[in-house]
Amino acid sequence: MPTKTHLIANGAVVDDTWVFIDDETPLGDTPAIISLDRLKAEADTLRSRNAKLGVVIRTNTQGKTKLGEDVRELSPYLDMLTTIAIDFPVYRNGRGYSDARILREELGFKGELRAIGEVLFDQWSFMARCGFNTFEIDSSIPVKAFNEALNELSEAYQPAVDNQRGVLWRRHGL
Amino acid sequence: MYRYDEFDHKIVTDRVNQFRGQVNRRISGALSEDAFKPLRLMNGVYLQLHAYMLRVAIPYGTVSSKQMRMLAHIARKYDRGYGHFTTRQNIQYNWPALDRIPDLLEELASVEMHAIQTSGNCIRNVTADQYAGAIADEIEDPRIISEIIRQWSTFHPEFSYLPRKFKIAVTGHENDRAAIKLHDIGIVIVKNDKGETGYEVHVGGGQGRSPFIAKKLTDFVPAKKLLAYLEAVMRVYNMLGRRDNSYKARIKILVHETGETEMRRLVEEEFAKIDASQMLSLPEAELDRISAYFAPPNYENLPAQSDAFEAAKEGNPEFSHWVKTNLVPHKTPGYGIVNISLKPIGGIPGDATDAQMDVIADLAERYALDEIRVTHEQNLVLPHVKLDEAKEVYDILCAHDLATPNIGLISDSIACPGLDYCNLANARSIPLAQEISTHFADLDKQYDIGELKIKISGCINACGHHHVGHIGILGVDKKGTEFYQISLGGSADEKASLGDITGQAFTEDKVVDAVDTIVETYLNLRQPEERFLDTYRRVGMDPFKEQLYAD
Ligand code: HEM
Ligand code: SF4
Repeated sequence: MPTKTHLIANGAVVDDTWVFIDDETPLGDTPAIISLDRLKAEADTLRSRNAKLGVVIRTNTQGKTKLGEDVRELSPYLDMLTTIAIDFPVYRNGRGYSDARILREELGFKGELRAIGEVLFDQWSFMARCGFNTFEIDSSIPVKAFNEALNELSEAYQPAVDNQRGVLWRRHGL
Repeated sequence: MYRYDEFDHKIVTDRVNQFRGQVNRRISGALSEDAFKPLRLMNGVYLQLHAYMLRVAIPYGTVSSKQMRMLAHIARKYDRGYGHFTTRQNIQYNWPALDRIPDLLEELASVEMHAIQTSGNCIRNVTADQYAGAIADEIEDPRIISEIIRQWSTFHPEFSYLPRKFKIAVTGHENDRAAIKLHDIGIVIVKNDKGETGYEVHVGGGQGRSPFIAKKLTDFVPAKKLLAYLEAVMRVYNMLGRRDNSYKARIKILVHETGETEMRRLVEEEFAKIDASQMLSLPEAELDRISAYFAPPNYENLPAQSDAFEAAKEGNPEFSHWVKTNLVPHKTPGYGIVNISLKPIGGIPGDATDAQMDVIADLAERYALDEIRVTHEQNLVLPHVKLDEAKEVYDILCAHDLATPNIGLISDSIACPGLDYCNLANARSIPLAQEISTHFADLDKQYDIGELKIKISGCINACGHHHVGHIGILGVDKKGTEFYQISLGGSADEKASLGDITGQAFTEDKVVDAVDTIVETYLNLRQPEERFLDTYRRVGMDPFKEQLYAD
């Protein structure tokens, strides 16, 4: 897990105005990312809060039956959310790629989708294709390396959330 | 055969360049071995006991002579003059140097080959019936849909970090030669009662520590919707598959723990959404484009019976034996399907030298409409040989030690790399396969025994398919000495079954005797026309057990 990260959006390092707030700490009126449990428990009061709200979806790598939080539980709350952060506890755990596509394609979430946790060089382009648009990465990695990695594979066979239609379709002008 | 277009070329070339960058970062130390591991795995590079190993994909087991020559060239230039054909229809090189692998991959790309997704927790190389397009009574050439699946699954952004590796196999024939029921997804091409072609999908088969036969989740999906259906299965698995224990992470465990009915419901629910979005509905034009590559080659109009062939059999009993075991009827009159055994008596199952690969490439070019197939039983096939020329082919094969007449017989065994190469092994597999084949070297004896598939794994991971061997042999570890457990009655075909363990394991010096005892017991018990498997299914374990553990 990187110790120090910076946030990349639209190919540049950006200021991160968001703060992750744990379940015990009261929320101020600055942009806050909270847990799914807290969102569900406090949804009514949160609706009238006057600041941007985000949520983090966690995956449990050790779970036998509880594999992680279910993004579909977010569907009643999506209009309240500006940001959804999806945690990759280890790069090998690729559940978050499906979370992202479900949010974008099934639930129609249009806001910021942020990849956090073990978010490594060789995963970025797949994450971007699945609908992530911001990335918390190790701050020692220059943004140039990030942008290059995103373009290493220039074609894709299959459709995903980005606007590449997939070669199987593009061959026929679809 | 499929040929790359500009898109396919671009995708493979980009990948070579990307991997070159990764290898450079690894060699310079910028990338640790830990972080490099998933990258090299996704490019088919394994760290073995002694060295890196490279696995090259042979999609659905089909290669041209030009490609086979390249595989020979690679064996010569980057390895020690041989390659190893595997049970996944791939070829493996045991000794390439890491810093030269990018060059090797570049050479492969020049003949439209790659090592993409031959390892790692992603969708692996798709396998299919080795007789595709050549065998009679096929519903559709399974390579068409396999190629479409290959493309859809290549660098799939959502499914490259699955809980575990994922294997898909396809058959278009009622006789299953692709072991589809032992794959994560097995596809059978079928016709519905309206006469339309579609796909029956089986999910959750697998071997390894806990073997399972796949469950049929659907009877019929049309071609247009198949990718949507597969994507639904994959998404359910990626969301719900266990990641806490690598032995529980395959989809077979999810299907088992969830139950077939619930699994079907989950997949249907996901499928309904993807299907409604139309995003993955396969264009008719693309299906046609890819099908065209697998149109039947230009066969000559020949009489069904070849006088030259019949005369050669008359005059040469050895040729006639070879024909009986290694030549299979072709759907086209006057042609045959030639199996090339890579199991010479006492040899290493699946190994071929560079010179042998070159010979096979030449044969394919001259006699077999330029095609070669790799079988999951680690042999090769020349799919379209004129019967008139079969004897010429045979003579050339003989000259290169490639005409062992033992396809399907006791010496045609599958063996995993085992303790000679593999760091997970409990016991040796290859030397045991060699000993068994030497023990039963006498061909008359082998013919008398008939079809008998021995499959050997060096540990419970079951790379050598021991669960589905008619006789399965598994290396187990007992306080540092090699022991072998034997099972009987497994089968990987359309009537797939898992073998039953005979009982206590055998020491290394007793295991060949034990196999001999099993064979003798069968010979004593069999009824006319009964294969080993039939006899076993009729009489059960007891008589074998009695003989094996008599004293
Ligand atoms: C020498 C290096 C190798 C290692 C370390 C290795 C490791 C493994 C492991 C750990 C499994 C179990 C996977 C699981 O159950 O989830 C497995 C299964 C398997 N491997 Fe290998 N393997 C090696 C070589 C090979 C080779 C050379 C072949 C082909 C000839 C092969 C074919 C297979 C097959 C067919 C399975 C069973 C798949 C299934 O469970 O459905 N492996 N291997
Ligand atoms: S079965 Fe075991 S010993 Fe054989 S190759 Fe697989 S992991 Fe190695």
